[in-house]
Amino acid sequence: MNTPLRRAALAILAAFALLAAMTVWIQAFAGPDYRDDPRNPRLTAWRVGRERGAIIASDGTPLARSDPNPADPQTFARVYPASDEYAHTVGYVSVLFGSRGLEKTRGSDLVSHRASTISGVLNAVLGGDPRPRGLRLTIDDDLQRAAVGALAGQRGSIIAVDPSTGAVLASASTPGFDPNILVGADAGPAGQKLEDDAAEPLLHRTIATTYPPGSTFKIITTAAALETGIAGPATEFPDPLALELPGSTATIHNYDDDVCTDGRTVTLEEAFVRSCNTTFGALGMEVGGDMLAQTAEAFGFNSEIPYDLDVLASAFPDPGGIADDPAATAQNAIGQRDVRATPMQMALVVAAVANEGNIMTPYVVGDVFTHDGKIESRTEPEIWRRAISPASAAVLSSLMEKAVISGTGRNAAVPGIRVAGKTGTAEVTGAAPHVWFIGFAPVEPEPGERQIALAIILEDGGPAGETASGGSVAAPIAAELFETYLR
Amino acid sequence: MTRNTEAAFILAGSVLASLGVAMVRFADGGWLDADVALTFISFSLAFGSLHLAFRLWAPNASPLLLPIATFLSAVGGIEVFRLDPELAALQRWWLLVAGAAGAGVLWLLRSSGVAVLRRYRYLFLAAATLFLLLPLLPESWPIHGAVVNGSRLWLRADLPFADQVLSFQPGEIAKVFLTIFLASYLADRAEAMSTVSRSIGPLRIPEPRHLGPVIVAAAAAFAVLVYQRDLGASLLLFGLFIGMLYTASGRSFYLGAGVVLGAAGGFAAYAMFSHVQVRISAWIDPFADYTGAGYQTAQGLFAMGSGSLTGSGLGLGRPDLIPAAATDFVFAAVGEELGLAGSLAVITAYAFLVTVGFGIALRSRDRFRKYLAAGLTILLGLQSFLILAGIVRLMPITGITLPFMSYGGSSLLASALTLALLGRVSHEERT
Repeated sequence: MNTPLRRAALAILAAFALLAAMTVWIQAFAGPDYRDDPRNPRLTAWRVGRERGAIIASDGTPLARSDPNPADPQTFARVYPASDEYAHTVGYVSVLFGSRGLEKTRGSDLVSHRASTISGVLNAVLGGDPRPRGLRLTIDDDLQRAAVGALAGQRGSIIAVDPSTGAVLASASTPGFDPNILVGADAGPAGQKLEDDAAEPLLHRTIATTYPPGSTFKIITTAAALETGIAGPATEFPDPLALELPGSTATIHNYDDDVCTDGRTVTLEEAFVRSCNTTFGALGMEVGGDMLAQTAEAFGFNSEIPYDLDVLASAFPDPGGIADDPAATAQNAIGQRDVRATPMQMALVVAAVANEGNIMTPYVVGDVFTHDGKIESRTEPEIWRRAISPASAAVLSSLMEKAVISGTGRNAAVPGIRVAGKTGTAEVTGAAPHVWFIGFAPVEPEPGERQIALAIILEDGGPAGETASGGSVAAPIAAELFETYLR
Repeated sequence: MTRNTEAAFILAGSVLASLGVAMVRFADGGWLDADVALTFISFSLAFGSLHLAFRLWAPNASPLLLPIATFLSAVGGIEVFRLDPELAALQRWWLLVAGAAGAGVLWLLRSSGVAVLRRYRYLFLAAATLFLLLPLLPESWPIHGAVVNGSRLWLRADLPFADQVLSFQPGEIAKVFLTIFLASYLADRAEAMSTVSRSIGPLRIPEPRHLGPVIVAAAAAFAVLVYQRDLGASLLLFGLFIGMLYTASGRSFYLGAGVVLGAAGGFAAYAMFSHVQVRISAWIDPFADYTGAGYQTAQGLFAMGSGSLTGSGLGLGRPDLIPAAATDFVFAAVGEELGLAGSLAVITAYAFLVTVGFGIALRSRDRFRKYLAAGLTILLGLQSFLILAGIVRLMPITGITLPFMSYGGSSLLASALTLALLGRVSHEERT
């Protein structure tokens, strides 16, 4: 008389197995579809979700804040008052498009610690403040707006740092976008449009993409020569119309397809000031691929730059591969061929020159403050690497200053301020050149005086197109920004 | 396992419940408060009193029942607290009442054993019928029936001295009483019912008069559906009748007859009642009428899908968006905040409890005790299955409570009675 009982038991257990199978299906396999279903009210609930900490510029300008939802005070809406200007650095938290920028990388500071995680519970037990922390950025609001304004309508980016601390003073990437439109559950079409835009507005151009550095790389080639003692500012080089490259039919020409000075000899200083490709191609071959790579790496190439956001590593080709190819070395030495750099990397190159050869770890989050506004932690400047000797840095500094006084960088000059810099016009196959200016000001600041190092790039010649050069397009922007920040 | 291990598990379950409440508080930015302590106290008192009653009056009872029940109640209690701390406070009182009632039952049966229930079966039948009819009391009376969500299941008492309404679902208790009646009735008739008197072709059927109970079951279930508009209770009662008839007689004829009658009743109900049609169409495609009939099912699916594997964490999801999250849909709320891990743990615990219940029935030598244990287990298993299956879309939503986990005093009371009776039966088999 137990047989029917056993059957009934088996039937019920089989029914429970079926329940378990359906539950696994719903939660593990179909789960993401249900979660992301636009009708899932959690999407809107997350938009007006939990409170996140504020993000402010160095002067307190609000960049991201959480507004209480009038209908339900338990929930908050994330608002980015600065809109386009800070979109890439601040980032966003979007249900449909994930999170980016500091909203992503510093998310653990920005969210409430009221979590049922082990650390959340420990924090609560130890009496810690569970409310979200805020971030004060090192960005100078005036400089940031000037930088974004200077790039208006162009594809390009500007990054400015304080050479003595590594604090990022401006980080502009254009075209920008309005992060507010990406936050909501209804962000689908707007976000898709941004993702499909050929101008790549979502791309963080200061750190997440690399360009051929062009003549700005001559700073590194010069540094290699100075560090090894192969050449100094007065060292003389031949001044040919074109540099023949050994083992290759290719030649290196100067920007104006002419000789550098008089067609006989040229000093390294004259060549630097006029940015002569022929001289630096020759110097590069003399220094050698190995030493060039070593110097580039001393400046941070082939390494990930430590920063509050992820920085794409700049690339200098593996010395082993090009050591036996002087032609490639010559082209790399003038920042073409295989060299690729982020604007952030090039800003750190000039920052090293300004800071006696030392590169400070760049940072954009200056303070983490509590909900009550008390500073909880402050970023301490620290040296990331010693790129070159102070002596080499001093020589480079004077060469760069001369390039602004009387050379290709003349348009970066600001009356009454000692500006140092280097232009670059990186040739791009099939398109107008990318134009660069990297530099710093003032040279040799008084104690307590502000100093700024920056890198500016406009893709495809900016407004000038084919006829553009770093000196004509990028350098004037530098002058404007030096003026903005230092006056 | 011994009684001491059982005590340890009850203690652990009570700690689990209060830790969960603490987690919800932390997630809200709060601190350990009275709710944490009161949760621990009410759980340890309620299940502790059942444990003590087992020790005193049913020392050989299976020690597996209480730990599983404590676990399920703890998980449900945490989620109810997370959804509505005020409901959880009421639930704590109900838990104490249920624990006391379970202990009281064990005390009443201490010397006579469950056999005494068998003698009073018509009393239980009368009480069950009365309980099922109570919600039909006119609304003008001080104690009256009430319609909630379209179903007339509730008994309400307006307390003149307090500004409160006491609500109770007498049907929950009626189901346990009916099980007692059926076990007793079948213990007397099983022999006769299993004899085969005639056959039509390959189909062997019992005496026509033995068909009576099946027809009564179908009629009662249909009546509940018509008068109380309660699909869940109707299905549950019908399933209980048929399940017990089958286990008692061993005749698959009853299963067949049950399926035929159930299907016929189902078609009739579908044709006659719009609320049944709505339930069925919401089951087939909850998103077709997303803002209407399918809303609750869809919200449950969104909740469980959003919970994914490990859940949002206690207090960090939005189970408050699910209609009836603290009662019928508490499983979806657990699925959202504790993830697949939590929901599988819950399903496993029910399967375990059902296994223990059937184990008790299998070991019983006495017919009445066997059928009683089997009936209570079928009731528990079927009820859990019906509501869970509705949430995960194996079946239309039936709108019944999940034993031990849902908020609801009557449900908790019925579950405690079930535990006490199962415990007592298992005790009597081992002495």
